[in-house]
Amino acid sequence: MTPTVQIEGDAGRVILSGQFDFSAHREFRQVCESLIANTEIKEVLVDFQNVNYLDSSALGMLLLLKEKIGAASKTMALVNCRDTVKQVLEIACFGKIFTIR
Amino acid sequence: MKILVVDDTEAVLLLISRFIEALGHKVVQARDGKEALELWRQHQPDLVLMDMMMPVMSGPEAAVAIKAEAGESWVPIVFVTGVGEENRLADAIERGADDYISKPVNFRVLEAKLKAFHRTLELNRKVREQSARLASYYDAAEEEKRVVRHLMDQMVNAERLYDPLLDYWLSPAESLSGDLIAAARTPGQVLYVLLADGIGHGLTAALNVLPLTQPFYSMAEKGYSLSDILVEMNNKVRQVLPVGRFVATVLIAIDEVTGCIEVWNGGMPTVHMLDRAGKVVHQWKSSHLPLGIVPTQDMETTTSRFFYSAPGTVLACSDGLTEARAPDGEAFSEQRLLQLLLQHPEGDRLVALQAALNAHLNGSPHHDDISMVMMRFGERMREDLPPAALQTAETQATMALVGSGESMWHYSLTLGAEELRYINTVPFMMSFVNEIKALRQFQSEVFLILSELFVNALDHGLLNMDSRLKRGEQGMDRYLLERGSRLAALTQGHIGIDLNGLRINGRDVLRIRIKDSGPGFDWPRFNLPNDDPARMHGRGLMLVRSMCASIQFTGSGNEVIVHYLPGLTAG
Repeated sequence: MTPTVQIEGDAGRVILSGQFDFSAHREFRQVCESLIANTEIKEVLVDFQNVNYLDSSALGMLLLLKEKIGAASKTMALVNCRDTVKQVLEIACFGKIFTIR
Repeated sequence: MKILVVDDTEAVLLLISRFIEALGHKVVQARDGKEALELWRQHQPDLVLMDMMMPVMSGPEAAVAIKAEAGESWVPIVFVTGVGEENRLADAIERGADDYISKPVNFRVLEAKLKAFHRTLELNRKVREQSARLASYYDAAEEEKRVVRHLMDQMVNAERLYDPLLDYWLSPAESLSGDLIAAARTPGQVLYVLLADGIGHGLTAALNVLPLTQPFYSMAEKGYSLSDILVEMNNKVRQVLPVGRFVATVLIAIDEVTGCIEVWNGGMPTVHMLDRAGKVVHQWKSSHLPLGIVPTQDMETTTSRFFYSAPGTVLACSDGLTEARAPDGEAFSEQRLLQLLLQHPEGDRLVALQAALNAHLNGSPHHDDISMVMMRFGERMREDLPPAALQTAETQATMALVGSGESMWHYSLTLGAEELRYINTVPFMMSFVNEIKALRQFQSEVFLILSELFVNALDHGLLNMDSRLKRGEQGMDRYLLERGSRLAALTQGHIGIDLNGLRINGRDVLRIRIKDSGPGFDWPRFNLPNDDPARMHGRGLMLVRSMCASIQFTGSGNEVIVHYLPGLTAG
């Protein structure tokens, strides 16, 4: 999976596709770090529109991202979650600590 | 390179040697095949440049011997051949020689060939180094796995998982499991079960779940509540794991005495409660974040309770089971799991489930760890409390001597309102009781007696709770909620507990005295022998009465003294 990035004003959108699991680790980190380093960006949107499956290590990556985003005083949100993705996020109760739209 | 040059013609030997030395290589000289073999053993050269026709032992014979001895390490052998030796040359190359150069020697060609061999030897050396390193990585990894597996086995002691009410199944995706199942009984015989799923699988996942075992076992055995254990487990996980690592966890407590099932589900698939026929009668969805994500002070440790009135089974599993994918990508699914449980009687469920999963996977491996526990409950429903302790002649004789016995030890503790709010008094005292030899075997009875009397003193003595609140469907929740808020608001009062080890008539007797600063209650009615059980102050006191040789309220009813004879009720 290669995530793509779209910049929309002060928001950076990371569009993921396919299976979001440990194999996406390196690319996901690189893409996110470039957005965090970009001072124009105030909000990072992780877009799940093309993701059909995510596992627990993906949840771990989201937690790591949240930590880094917080340290850089930016905000983040998980957007366009399909039912299967929503289900995993619900079981993990991630709604308690993430903005899900 | 170190090169072994072999030729029986002194002039040729000298010529080639000088040339090779001029190129910067080191030379070892031999004059026939036999000497070549001996010097090869002695000097281990990188390459052999050898004449074919020689006395004593020919080149090809020596080549075969050297190749055989070199084994896995590659020693290139280059023949220097005269015209007319083509047949033997072909034969020699077939038997392992690497190249040849014709006589008279063209030094330009020889130099080029040596360079080519040097390159290949370098490459060969690198590959050998790398494969040796890989092999040692592999060995180290295997050794680590062996150690962790041993650790896991020790900490997740399968013997402890043996409980007549418990069936479990754990199938790791790799040699180590990131899923963990643990079970323990509290001193009050409440069954605690932990099911945890660390991120991923294999070694790192196994390391993620290990920190949970110690607080679980040690605190369960002391009788701490699920909430207390959760706090400690979250602390441990936060301490030892890096950000981004977490552990989805389910904690379940089944209390057969009160008929209560308590569950905390943080990030695990829904826990189901099934009746005897396998129909779902209650469920606990994940309503908390997994352990390790939020700081402990922000954590919700409130458990969800269900009071059962008929026997059944509680089922919990990891997502490795419901998400196990068939070769066509289809997940096993929760619906299929529940359907299966409905179709099979209790005793056959585990086997039927394993068979169904095998059929579903159709020979392909599962990619995540699979774990599952089934806990039966309510099989011997406690409709009737045990009969009051048998007043044997021996008991009566012993009790008659109360007051004249010898005091062996004394443990006294008084807690004020402030301390009562946060000290988990009874588990705290149990760590002392467990050290007393005469009581160790009977700790679960002592725990029950102490808990009942302490809860009585706190709830009714200090907090002035009305037991009638417990009635009705939501009664217990309402009662506990009210109790929680009154405890939080408690500013005055204290409870004193005295444990006294007596020796009377050659028998160990435990005297427990609990006194609270509350107003007390109408005790003379309670102390009447053969009182009507229906009018009793509570089931808890009935239980205490059934286990103790005597129970007596004094003063305004805010002080109670019981005498317990270890081993009297024998289970």
